[in-house]
Amino acid sequence: MLQEMWSMLTQRTGFFLNLAWEHLEISLLAILIAIVVGGLVGILISEYQKSSKPALGVINFLYTIPSISMLGFLIPFSGIGNATAVIALTVYALLPMVRNTHTGITNIDPALLEAAKGMGSTRLQILFKIKLPLAMPVVMSGIRNMVTMTIALTGIASFIGAGGLGVAIYRGITTNNAAMTMLGSLLIAALALIMDVILGFIEKRMKKRSAKSKRTNRILAVAAVVLCAGVVGGGILASQKKDTIHIATKPMTEQYVLGEMLDILIEQDTELDVQLTQGVGGGTSNIQPAMEKGEFDLYPEYTGTGWNMVLKREGLYTENLFDEMQAAYQDELQLQWIGMYGFNNTYGLAVRREIAEQYGLKTYSDLKAAAGQLTFGAEYDFFEREDGYDALCETYGLRFKNTVDLDIGLKYQAINQGKIDVMVIFTTDGQLSVSDVVVLEDDQSFYPSYLCGNVIRTEVLERHPELESVFEKLTGILSDDAMAQINYEVETEGKEPRAVAEAFLQNAGLLQ
Amino acid sequence: MNTVIAFKDVKKAYGDKVVLEHFNLSVEQGEFVTIIGSSGCGKTTILKMINGLIKPTGGSILLHGQNIEEKDMIQLRRNIGYAIQGSVLFPHMTVEQNISYVPNLLNKRDKQRTRNAVSKWMKIVGLDEELKERYPSELSGGQQQRVGIARSLAASPDLLLMDEPFGAVDEITRGQLQVELKQIYEKTGITVLFVTHDISEALKLGTKVLVMDHGVIQQYAPPDVLLHAPATEFVRRLVEKERRVCRLPEEKLLDCAYSGASSAIE
Repeated sequence: MLQEMWSMLTQRTGFFLNLAWEHLEISLLAILIAIVVGGLVGILISEYQKSSKPALGVINFLYTIPSISMLGFLIPFSGIGNATAVIALTVYALLPMVRNTHTGITNIDPALLEAAKGMGSTRLQILFKIKLPLAMPVVMSGIRNMVTMTIALTGIASFIGAGGLGVAIYRGITTNNAAMTMLGSLLIAALALIMDVILGFIEKRMKKRSAKSKRTNRILAVAAVVLCAGVVGGGILASQKKDTIHIATKPMTEQYVLGEMLDILIEQDTELDVQLTQGVGGGTSNIQPAMEKGEFDLYPEYTGTGWNMVLKREGLYTENLFDEMQAAYQDELQLQWIGMYGFNNTYGLAVRREIAEQYGLKTYSDLKAAAGQLTFGAEYDFFEREDGYDALCETYGLRFKNTVDLDIGLKYQAINQGKIDVMVIFTTDGQLSVSDVVVLEDDQSFYPSYLCGNVIRTEVLERHPELESVFEKLTGILSDDAMAQINYEVETEGKEPRAVAEAFLQNAGLLQ
Repeated sequence: MNTVIAFKDVKKAYGDKVVLEHFNLSVEQGEFVTIIGSSGCGKTTILKMINGLIKPTGGSILLHGQNIEEKDMIQLRRNIGYAIQGSVLFPHMTVEQNISYVPNLLNKRDKQRTRNAVSKWMKIVGLDEELKERYPSELSGGQQQRVGIARSLAASPDLLLMDEPFGAVDEITRGQLQVELKQIYEKTGITVLFVTHDISEALKLGTKVLVMDHGVIQQYAPPDVLLHAPATEFVRRLVEKERRVCRLPEEKLLDCAYSGASSAIE
């Protein structure tokens, strides 16, 4: 594992450096805002003691909101991406900052303050000459805690499409790449440690009080401020490039690969820049609102999902409803479907090849006669769901000899070993491409169709008609088998989505 | 003579508890007034009412004939020296920064003048020049008190308020500090109000002593009058011991019946 992680780090140094840099930008921005805002609030509530209890109460309350729900809660207001991440991180960073500033100031010996007052200092002079310098050690320790916490918390920001090392963690989880997850986590820990060491150094310097070290401190402080401003400013400038296509993908292996394909082809065939936000947490429910707001321009979607989840239509989706859906997308949402890849990622029934041959099974209906001799396997929830086992059996009149509950990770093993004969699958499961099974045809359309295509904002397509040729190239290039094969290469063979995407496009003759 | 401070029928109460009532006092220019009394008798309150840290409940306080309520409190405080028990130096500032605190509030620009003032006052209170860069925690108790005095005098005020400034130092250092303070007073002609709970200190330093009990003035007179003619029973008991202390020079000590020298001969 360590070796795997090391080779990944050395091979993809650029990728990880980029993520680490982004991570630093997001967390530093949140930290700076929290220091300024939190510091101010801390000062204000210590100057006006009456307000301290309610203010601390509110901040305490915000702090107790679980970070995931805070992010979800913010999405309708600030959308998907770095802005929401920075807001959420700032909110969490406020508490330690406000509390420590308040504690630091209120714990100053009142005799000192009275002496300063008695000597004719104004309120502001007392604040700047006496209170703040004396509260500094406490404030500093608050900042140290807050920085470590913020850097760690930034890791979950990728859940809502923000950058940073969390991207590596989340991608590692969704594409079954443990080394990448571990490496992302370790790098976050390393970043936090480095920042803590730097802050420890600053704290130490601040305790040195000779005139000479004070001069050095001033130089160091200026340098640090310039550096921070550079990092944050660089991030803001970099994010303001024009004519960029923002692509989102859902947290699924095949979508990561599709995202890379879109990225490669658009950058190759057009003048446009692509900003790819991979694996947005929550999938459609978070990407769709962002599409409507114009934060994303394009993402791969499945027809059945569009019908049921986006348009919220009742009933089973079949492909002869496509034109109706396309029209509804254009009229209601100013979005449209384009570049259908050709594969269908739906539920399916798979049978071990020898069984299929023995009973001559090709369609679900063929199962009716043989079901009595066969064992059926599926995940636990399939037996509970409304459109699950019972509905399937009723539609096709099936009665299996036996049923087995299986974990999703173990079912392919089980069918290969003959423990089960028939099972529920997704039609693009990576394992499918290496298992000796036959996928049966859903001849009575029990399951909705989930053809994969792209949803794009109509406005973007009109502004950049050159994109149409890209989608033309992508139309129909992936079969269920090809997609399953690609999923297998990423999930099981541990290849990088981008490398797999490149190889596939190369084979298809689409790269120049 | 010029009246520097005048209390006119001043009252101070904290809620229902009256600390001072019908309080009248005037202090002439160049006077060194020591204020003594039982604890809680309102002596610190008197001092803090002069620089506005405590507001009187009733009556008025005049500074150079003008009601202090009509004055700019910040300016007023900057022109009054203020030294507090335990000296209360700012722990994050060097000796130099502490002493130049008020001059810096007054004139930020003229750094050279401030530096000169610091050097001058450090010399006067007997602090070595090389202590300038030290922090309060690196000083002895006596040195801290000296810095406290230098700080209160650095802006050359014409009025100095001292609230038990020597309360926390040992006997020997206190003696030295008393001598030095007396010298400074004589050199500058400054008006001083000095709160203490030590009657011998009050008698030794003051040109006038104000004796307070439960918010009421018992006597306000020069030290020798206090000793010879105590106005009340409270004052008599207070000075009882001091009356028996001889301040005669060495060779005449034997003339004094109460001195340690005469008892040694017997």
